[in-house]
Amino acid sequence: MAETLLAESKLRLVFQAGIDEDSKPILKAKTFGNVNKAVTADQLYQVTQAVVGLTVDELSGAQRMDSLDLLA
Amino acid sequence: MAKTLELQFVTEGGNNARLTVDNPKEPIEEAAVKQAMEAIIAAEVFFTSGGKFVTAKGARVIERNVTDYELV
Repeated sequence: MAETLLAESKLRLVFQAGIDEDSKPILKAKTFGNVNKAVTADQLYQVTQAVVGLTVDELSGAQRMDSLDLLA
Repeated sequence: MAKTLELQFVTEGGNNARLTVDNPKEPIEEAAVKQAMEAIIAAEVFFTSGGKFVTAKGARVIERNVTDYELV
């Protein structure tokens, strides 16, 4: 029976850094590694709020990225 | 002029760890930066090889000059 095991977690924040010529939003993603695998959504939200408060860029979305090892 | 705010933390193991935030709000308010760093420490989201973040060591703004050339 194969299984998956959480290998690492990352926090990815997507910012809107202005508007391009076609008035489409310019999105920039920033990824923070070294995230504790046992982290909760609330904890990630707290860090997201802290980071967003320091930048002029507008937050467009936040994601938790998990990589899972596939084991036989 | 691309500016980056660098947040410097010390981990449990005494190592330095850095988080960077692009396009920081200016002027930089030290109290706001300190508060954000304390929130990041309190959230206990990051876990490096030296353990979690325990203290806020400092912060600095890094400016990078980028000159684009049109190659015709």
